Amino acid sequence: METGVIFAGFGGQGILLAGKVLARAGMDQGLEVTWLPSYGPEMRGGTANCTVILADEPVGSPIVDAPRALVALNGPSLDRFEPKVAPGGAVVVNSSLVPRPVRRKDVREIPVPVNDIARELGEPRTINMVALGAAVRALGILPLQAVIQAMVEELGERGRKRLVEVNREALARGYAEAGRFLA
Amino acid sequence: MPGKAILSGVHFMNGDEAIAEGAIAAGCRFFAAYPITPQSEIAERLAWRLPRVGGMFIQMEDELGAMAAVVGAAWGGAKAMTATSGPGFSLMMENIGLAVMTETPCVVVDVQRGAPSTGLPTAVGQGDMMQARWGSHGHYEIIALCPASPQEAFDLTVRAFALSERFRVPVLIMTDEVVGHMYERVEIPAEVPEAPRRRPQVPPDRFLPFEPDPDLVPPMACAGEGYRIHVTGLTHDERGYPDMSAEAHDRLVRRLCDKILRFRDEFTVYEAVDLDDAEIAVVSYGISARVAHGALALAREQGIKAGMLRLITAWPFPDPVVRSLADRVRGVVVVELNLGQMSREVERVVRGKVPVIGVYHAGGRIHTPEEVLSGIEEVQRCR
Repeated sequence: METGVIFAGFGGQGILLAGKVLARAGMDQGLEVTWLPSYGPEMRGGTANCTVILADEPVGSPIVDAPRALVALNGPSLDRFEPKVAPGGAVVVNSSLVPRPVRRKDVREIPVPVNDIARELGEPRTINMVALGAAVRALGILPLQAVIQAMVEELGERGRKRLVEVNREALARGYAEAGRFLA
Repeated sequence: MPGKAILSGVHFMNGDEAIAEGAIAAGCRFFAAYPITPQSEIAERLAWRLPRVGGMFIQMEDELGAMAAVVGAAWGGAKAMTATSGPGFSLMMENIGLAVMTETPCVVVDVQRGAPSTGLPTAVGQGDMMQARWGSHGHYEIIALCPASPQEAFDLTVRAFALSERFRVPVLIMTDEVVGHMYERVEIPAEVPEAPRRRPQVPPDRFLPFEPDPDLVPPMACAGEGYRIHVTGLTHDERGYPDMSAEAHDRLVRRLCDKILRFRDEFTVYEAVDLDDAEIAVVSYGISARVAHGALALAREQGIKAGMLRLITAWPFPDPVVRSLADRVRGVVVVELNLGQMSREVERVVRGKVPVIGVYHAGGRIHTPEEVLSGIEEVQRCR
């Protein structure tokens, strides 16, 4: 069983880190994981995405044709990756920035206003963790607690107490938000 | 604050970081480089780590200087490494030749990206494979290893240092952007044996710095140890003095090649996947082999008995391994992220005995298993 997740957005939205936290959480839970980034030569801006694979057997190719979940933090990312999502898969859309709904009817749309939520939390940079929290709920294969732990590990020495706390809140808010759209 | 040299345990690491940690674990204490995507994570990690384990990191003015500094550090007694990507690899070529000629143990990492020129700085390629073999001028042998995962990047970096000391030759790690940037589980063992440098066994007054042992490799004295050394890129005799005769030149160049080729069994490493009953063999290396792995199962679902020879040692090319493969299969598919480099070697060794088909892509993305499968199907149809 192999689960692919694509995180995509503008450079600077933190999507690479969001994917890394998910992959690390999977590794900590004993899964085989890969995390592969894709970005352009720009120092900032541009678009970026990363692919996470969580599997119970060693992963071959680190790219996926049909992700079980997509996290799209901007419009171009939704346009580009929506067609690839596996039927029945989840699409977490940043409804703060993306003006359109998901077009496909065979995927589960989870609109989360991540910019608004992050602003409410007083730390706009946590949009990636809000989105990740929603994705974790939609995937349903890793406990939120494992993802929180991986976030703390990933922030490492940079993770001062306040940062860890606000990112924990962000993950929890995203997780709760997604629950509204999932049975 | 002194740090631990060997970070034993399980890590979530990318290939670049694994190479940096492999180097430190192997005893590397000197790294000179110029930053370049997708190598920068190696330099970044070593800039942080080396000073904490008593080593030295120098960001040089460019890659010419980086390679020169590595040669100098090795002669100063250090285990030394540099790392770059295609554009910098080109600039290193002259001094890689100097390292070959002066029999300087060192490790050079090329994290390959889309090329020629600036090409695709942030995307994958495997277009430097022939440059690794022939990029410096003159005739020479060099050892090149190709990791297919961050774990293997760690393991092969340790091995590269051992081989560089054993043969007194630059050893190249020919990796790529995907292995370099991909994070995975990497397990660092509790202990990593440090490869010894071959030291002089005679007193200084009887020491000739380029007098080889019976296995054609000379012991190495480093600067400042009391042994007289003379190191030059000119053709030289056993004293290290220039000798401009054709005879001396032929003798030296042959020895530099033979010291490696005669002992190729020591370092020829490969992985055989499902080859026992295979009728079609995929030959690949690095990240491309990893993707091709997925195509084998697809082929077998269709009743095609496909296996794979994954080259881990790319140079010297494992002629005997590929030759015996060609005796056993009906066709060969070479998968690589260039328009046919290692496949030239495969064709040379196979000598038309069975059809050889290339699944090529100039880089920018890795293959899909389906692309590899169509190559397997194509060669299956050949008669």
